[in-house]
Amino acid sequence: MELKSVMNRYGLKQKIFSIAPLFGLIALVVCFLAAATAKDLNIAYSMKNILNQSVVVAVIATGAIFIYTLGSFDISLGASACVSALVGGMVYNATGSVTLMFLTCVGVAVAIALINSVLASVFNLPVFVTTVAMLSVLNAVVLMLININGTGSQIAVPTDAVAGLNTTWFKLLVLVLFFAVCLFVFDFTKIGRLQKFLGGNPVCAKLSGINNKRLAIIAFVMSGIAVGLGSFLSITYAPTLTKNTASSVGMDVIISIVFGGMPVSGGARSRIYAAVVGAFSMTFLNQIMVMFNLNSGIGQMVKAVIFLIVVSLAMSNQRNKEILPR
Amino acid sequence: MKKWRRLTAFLLTAAMVLMMACTVMAEAPEMDESETVKIGVLVSDTTSAEALAFRAYYEEYIQNQYNVNFMYSDELKDSAGEASAIDNFIANNCKAVISLSSFDRPAQIAQCSGAGVYYAVATGTLTDEEYEAAKTNEYYVGAIGPDLMTEYQTGYDMAKYFLDEGKTKFAIFGGAIPYYTDMHIYRAAGMLAAMCDVGEGSYKDATGMDIIGKIYEDGAVETGAIGNVEVVGYVGGYDMDDAWFGKCGEMAQTEGLEVILAVGNGSDFFGAAKGEGVQIASVDAYADSYKEAMEAGTLNYLAGKFSASIGPIFMATYSAVKGYPIRDAEGNALALSQGYWVADSAETFNTYYAVDSSKEEPAYTKEMLDGLFGSSYDDFAAFVSAYTFDEIQGLK
Repeated sequence: MELKSVMNRYGLKQKIFSIAPLFGLIALVVCFLAAATAKDLNIAYSMKNILNQSVVVAVIATGAIFIYTLGSFDISLGASACVSALVGGMVYNATGSVTLMFLTCVGVAVAIALINSVLASVFNLPVFVTTVAMLSVLNAVVLMLININGTGSQIAVPTDAVAGLNTTWFKLLVLVLFFAVCLFVFDFTKIGRLQKFLGGNPVCAKLSGINNKRLAIIAFVMSGIAVGLGSFLSITYAPTLTKNTASSVGMDVIISIVFGGMPVSGGARSRIYAAVVGAFSMTFLNQIMVMFNLNSGIGQMVKAVIFLIVVSLAMSNQRNKEILPR
Repeated sequence: MKKWRRLTAFLLTAAMVLMMACTVMAEAPEMDESETVKIGVLVSDTTSAEALAFRAYYEEYIQNQYNVNFMYSDELKDSAGEASAIDNFIANNCKAVISLSSFDRPAQIAQCSGAGVYYAVATGTLTDEEYEAAKTNEYYVGAIGPDLMTEYQTGYDMAKYFLDEGKTKFAIFGGAIPYYTDMHIYRAAGMLAAMCDVGEGSYKDATGMDIIGKIYEDGAVETGAIGNVEVVGYVGGYDMDDAWFGKCGEMAQTEGLEVILAVGNGSDFFGAAKGEGVQIASVDAYADSYKEAMEAGTLNYLAGKFSASIGPIFMATYSAVKGYPIRDAEGNALALSQGYWVADSAETFNTYYAVDSSKEEPAYTKEMLDGLFGSSYDDFAAFVSAYTFDEIQGLK
């Protein structure tokens, strides 16, 4: 009883909950290293592997945090990454320029994000609805792009063209730089503060004269840049692109954000690092399951159980139980 | 003098025999099984009859006979999934990867050889360009599986079987033709070529192997008359949604249809065609679902891969890991074709199935595979080329 009052007085409960995902990640890393040592794994290669498997989701989820902070939800991120990568691949095959391919990936992703944001904010439609519609459109575009390309099943960028960028250092550099930019915008500028305010209490924010349309557009642009970077990194890792490229990214982003401790209802308790923590936690968890040769069915069930636990814990820490996005 | 000559001859002969024995002893490969060898298996399909049969052979037979441990990938959907799975294998100290996934084979080979991990293709072959690029790579073990000409002939023989019975109305299930999967295109082309030969007509003004190009142009098979034979229905793809199943059902019930020729997964039509008097032929595997269909008369012809067909590529890979790679005189990796077992009656099917599904005495047993360890390319090729049921049984 006394402990409870002390915890409430100093806000300890809040603090513990806010850093719990980080402890979760540390616990997973410790478990992984212990199991890897016991099973005599190639730990250096495993760490590189974990970065390879996390970086795309970590980058895209970091950008998506801006949308989630507003209490919104974008289900079309994976399809957007696929379209961006395919168009980028086609541009490379037409021009032979990696720079143009990079710019195309980012440009296409930002354009898609802008369309989403314009539909949502200008026509006052719920973001979830516009992104569901966009998901259908983008899936159709993917098939069209592959057919236009003439091979019927894939668009392939020559491996040699991007092999130099498929390195640990390049991926780390992209992740660190983009995270630094997002951290600065999110935590050290007016834009980030206004977004948290708008996500936490849209009515109050509106009455305070905050331009929610402008903030929504900024959030989608940040997310678009992230998708563009993610699609470029996808090409460097696996330059043969199909309709299934980045197909799991959309769902992985949502799971990562929740794993990382981000309230999906957005608001003041949104954390920019949640995406990175969540993405790496998920990959470490996957790697532990791979190590013990557990098949994907069991893996999915374990993930589902952890997902439910995390969401339950997050809800128990919130006065407002409406944690679903708008 | 004579005595000395005899003694000299005896000593020379003895020396030669001793030298030969030493040479043989030095070259005889020794299978050291003291250390467990981890082998990763890339699979793009984890639920089909064929995939399950292959997995059972490796996990329930090979793994019990040799000191090996197979690590399977999840179901793979694209080349990124393949790269990711190979990364997992390497991190888990797999010494070799056997691939049943073909989104980007050159990338798979590059990734494995970059990490010093052996790589082999099971139940498939590389294209000529891919093989040229990989054949001297020390980590590329090779490929064993039906080559494209075998696929073409398999389709041809299947259609010819029914044409010889006087059937004239066919429907074709094109499987992965819309995704431009070579083996499915070649099988379908073979079927159409047989129709051209027997029906005395042409498919889009093409006959024989020229039909292959026509299918590549369209990414589909066109329905219509081929002389006095007719393709009355076609479905392609593996959408597996309600619309797709609806199209399959509609095709199976086309007016006048006599035979459905499936380039793969003919079992998808067993329900749709039941009771309609339509015969079904497919390329697939010797699995439970096909056994039941064959016994019930729903399935009439199966060109099936036998599960132990992936035994020789395992041994080639294992041999390479143990330091005895199998190479031709020029140092090139394996590139061997292997065909199907064809059953056109329940009796034949059950004979094949009994051997194929056995976990004690499968088609390729340990004793047979042991003979391939560190063997010459020619011996290995001769063993693989004798793939028919009777030939394999004759080797036992």
